[in-house]
Amino acid sequence: MTSDVIKEAVAKQQSGDRKLAADNSILGKVMTFNIGDQIYGIEIQYVTEIIGMQHITKVPHVPNYIKGIINVRSKVVPIVDIRTRFGKPEIAYNNRTCIITLNFNETSVGIIVDSVADVEDIHTGDISATPENKNVNTNDFIQYMIRGENDTTKLILDVAKLLDEKEA
Amino acid sequence: MAKIEPGMESMLDMYFFETNSLLEQLDEILLRTEQANAFESEDIKEIFRIMHTIKGSSAMMGFENLSVLAHKAEDMFFVIRENPDVITDVSFVYDLVFQVSDSYKTQLEAIQNNENGEYEQMNFDELINKLLKARDHLANEANGESASSGGDKPAAAAGGESAAAAAPTEKGKVTVRVFFEEGCQMENLRAFLLINTIREECSFLEFYPADVETNAETSKEIVEHGFLITFSEEDNRDYILKLIETALNVQSYEVLSNEEAANPTKTSISEEVPKAELPPEPVAVKTEKPAPAPAPTPAPAANKPAASADSSVEKAQAAVANAQSGAQKQNLISVNLAKLDALHDIVGEIITTESMVISNPDLEGLELESFNKAARDLRKLTSELQDTVMSIRMVPLAGVFQKMNRIVRDMRKKLGKEVDFVIEGENTEVDKSIVDNLQDPLMHLVRNCMDHGIEENSKDRVLAGKPEKGTIKLTAQNASGEVVITVSDDGAGIDPDKIMAKARRMGILTKPENEYTEKEIQNLILLPGFSTNEQVTEFSGRGVGMDVVKANIEKCGGAIIVDSKKGVGTNFIIKIPLTLAIIDGMEITVGDLVFTVPISTIRESFKVESGQIVSDTSGNEMIMIRGVCYPILRMHEKFAIETEVTNLEDGILLLVETDNKSVCIFADRLIGEQQVVVKPFPTYLSRYNIKGEGLSGCTIMGDGSISLIIDTNTLIG
Repeated sequence: MTSDVIKEAVAKQQSGDRKLAADNSILGKVMTFNIGDQIYGIEIQYVTEIIGMQHITKVPHVPNYIKGIINVRSKVVPIVDIRTRFGKPEIAYNNRTCIITLNFNETSVGIIVDSVADVEDIHTGDISATPENKNVNTNDFIQYMIRGENDTTKLILDVAKLLDEKEA
Repeated sequence: MAKIEPGMESMLDMYFFETNSLLEQLDEILLRTEQANAFESEDIKEIFRIMHTIKGSSAMMGFENLSVLAHKAEDMFFVIRENPDVITDVSFVYDLVFQVSDSYKTQLEAIQNNENGEYEQMNFDELINKLLKARDHLANEANGESASSGGDKPAAAAGGESAAAAAPTEKGKVTVRVFFEEGCQMENLRAFLLINTIREECSFLEFYPADVETNAETSKEIVEHGFLITFSEEDNRDYILKLIETALNVQSYEVLSNEEAANPTKTSISEEVPKAELPPEPVAVKTEKPAPAPAPTPAPAANKPAASADSSVEKAQAAVANAQSGAQKQNLISVNLAKLDALHDIVGEIITTESMVISNPDLEGLELESFNKAARDLRKLTSELQDTVMSIRMVPLAGVFQKMNRIVRDMRKKLGKEVDFVIEGENTEVDKSIVDNLQDPLMHLVRNCMDHGIEENSKDRVLAGKPEKGTIKLTAQNASGEVVITVSDDGAGIDPDKIMAKARRMGILTKPENEYTEKEIQNLILLPGFSTNEQVTEFSGRGVGMDVVKANIEKCGGAIIVDSKKGVGTNFIIKIPLTLAIIDGMEITVGDLVFTVPISTIRESFKVESGQIVSDTSGNEMIMIRGVCYPILRMHEKFAIETEVTNLEDGILLLVETDNKSVCIFADRLIGEQQVVVKPFPTYLSRYNIKGEGLSGCTIMGDGSISLIIDTNTLIG
C-alpha cells in the first residue's frame, strides 16, 4: 500500500537517512487544498469526490466543527469544517468553497475546505517529517510535510487521526 | 489449537449451513418423538441418516473429533434401527442425543468464530464413552440378535460387507465404474458418501475397494482405477445412475458389462457419461439441480422422499424446507442477507426518487393527463415492488419458537417442574434481522418463567386453586403494524412488596415509594442488576438478564412491558415493529430544519390559544386537553434551533404518546404526511449522543434534503 511506503520514507527521513534526497521516485499522489494561506494535502486514496457547497442539515448535540449531514446520492454523509476543527476563524462560504468526501475504513466524511488546489505526485526527496516539538501541540493532524517549489510547504493530513479521533 | 485444513476454507460455509440445518432437524425430530414418547422406525432411520451425513462431511472437512462423535452416535442408532424394541429407557437415549447435538453446536460455533482458521478442538471422550456404553447395553438387550453389528466394526460398513460376502458378482448385476473429480481429495470418503447415497435404493450392493470408510490408502486405488459399484439389475437402474451422476464431486462414470466387471483393472468405454460441470465451490445462491432428463421409467423420484434419496447437499436443502413434507421438492434458494439488504436499500431509493420525479416543482401548474396516469401506474408498481422485497425478508418466528421448546424440555428435567409448553402463532412473520435479535431475549424470558415463574412445589399450585401442571405460553400475533409476542406463565407472579424491598436496598428508587404505581414497580425488574431470586441458579438469577432483554428488544425498535399479578401469573409483552426500514411519518419544520415524527405516535395536532396554557412555578408550560394536563416541549429549545416562531399561538402542537407517556411538542408548522425510508446516522456521528436525545435516524426526502426522525421514546424520557 502506498501509505506504507510513505511511512517508511518518513521514518527514514526522521532518522536522518540522507540517501533519500537523491532518490526521487514517486510514492503516490496527494490532493492539495487551501485553508487560508496554508496548503494542506490528503493522500489521494482516501478521497472519494469533490462536491460543491450545498445545503447542510444541522444535527443537534454535536461539536461545533461538525456542520451537519448532507445527501450525496442517497448516502448520508457527515460534514466537518476543517477551519473550525483547526481552531481558525470561520469565514463565509463562497463559490470556491468545496466539500471533499473522504472514505477511511468504511467511514465516509466530508470536509469543508476554502478551495481545492491540485493533485500532485509525492516525490521521495520532498518528504520531510514534522518537527518534534513538545511545547506546541500543532502536529496533531499532520502526518508529514512536502516541500514544494518556491519554498512552499504542504502539510499532509493524517486521515486516520482526523476521522477517528476520540472526543476530547 | 487445531487448524482448518488448507483448501477447505471455501467449503466451510457450506458445511456449517448443512450441518446446522441437520442438527436443527435432529432436534425437531427428537422433540416431536419425545412428546409422543416413542420412536417411529421412520424417525430412527432419519436420525441415523443425519448422524451419518454429519459424520461423512465432518471427516471430509478434517474435524476428526466431530466425525468420531457422530460415528458413535450413529453406531448406537444402528443397533436401535435393527432392533427397535430394545429401547427400554427412552429418556436416557434422548438425553444422550441432545448432548451430542449440543456438543456439536458448541464446537461448530468455536470453529466459526475463529477467523484465522484456528480453533479449540473440544474433547468428547466422555460423551463418546457414554455412547459406547449405551450401544453395548442396547446390543446386549437385543440378545445377540444383532451380535455381528454390535461389534467393533463400523456399523454402516458392516451392512455393505455382509452383503458383499453373501452374494458375489453374478448375472443380473450392473457394475459401474465411477471416477471422481481430479484433485478433489479424500476420494475414499467421497466414495463412501456415494455408497450411502444409493444404498437406500439398492436391494443388493457391493463395492470395490470395500474398506473405503476406514482405509485412506484406497484413495490412490480409486484415483487410478475408479471406484466400482455393483448393484442388482432389478433395482431402479436409471434412478441409481442418476444419483451417481449428480453426486458431489463425481467426474464421470461408465457402466461395465459383466465380463469386464469380473476383471476390474481392464478399462472400457462402453457407456461413458460425462458429468455436467458442477460449480467448483459452494456459492451463496444454490438452486435445486436441474430436473433429470425424461426418465424411461415413470418418474422414480416421485415416490421417494427427496431427503432420503438425494445427495447430501439437497438433503440439507430439504431439511431447511422442513423435511417432514419432503415428498415434494421445494423451490427454495438461500441468499446472502447482505444482498437482500442491498436490494432493500435500492428499493428505498427508488421510492424516494420516484417522488422526486412525480412531485417535481418543474411540473407545477402544468396539465399533464397522460403523465399523471403513467405516474399513478409507476407508483402502484413501486409499492408492489416494495411489498415484495419486504416479504422476502420476512421469516416466520417458528424457528425461534421451536428452540424454546428445547429449553423448556431441558429445564423441566433439571428442575423437576411439571410444565406444559404452548406455542401459538408461530407462523407470524417478522423481518429477518428482528428474528435474529429476538432469540436471546425470548430464551431468557422463557427461562425466567420456568425458573422463577412456575412454583417450586406443585402443592402450592393446587392450594392456590390452579392445575397441578403449570403452563408456559408463547404467542405471537400481528396487531396494527406491530408484532406482539407474549411470554406468559400461570405461576406465582411478581410480588410487588419483594420488588420494592429489593429496590430500596439497592437504592434505585427515584421518587417516594408510595408514588410508585403497581405497573411501575413491576417494570423495575427491567433495570440493570435487578434480580429478586435469592439464589443464583444455573439458568437464571444473576441479575444480568432482564436489562439485557430490554436492551436487545429496544435494539430492534421494540418495547417490553411486564404485566403480572401476584398469585396468578406473569405476562411479558413484547411489541416490535413489523419492519424497521420504512415508516409513515409526519413532516414538521422548526426553523430551517425538517423533522419526521412517526405517525404511529401522534395522537392529535392542534393550534392553541393563550388561555389554554398553564405554567407551573418553575415556568414549565403545560396544556389542559379534555381534563388531562400535558407538558409542552418546545423543539426549538430542545435542539437549540433559531426560529422566528416562538409564540405558542403561532406554531402548532402535536400530542405524541409512547409507553403511556405523553407530551405536546411545539413546532413551527406541519408540512404533511410522507412515507420515509429510515437511514441510520453515519457511523462517524455515533460517538455523540444523538440517539439518546430524541432522534432515531434520518431520512432523505423527495427533494433530496434530509429530515431528522424523532424518537418519541428518548425525546420524552
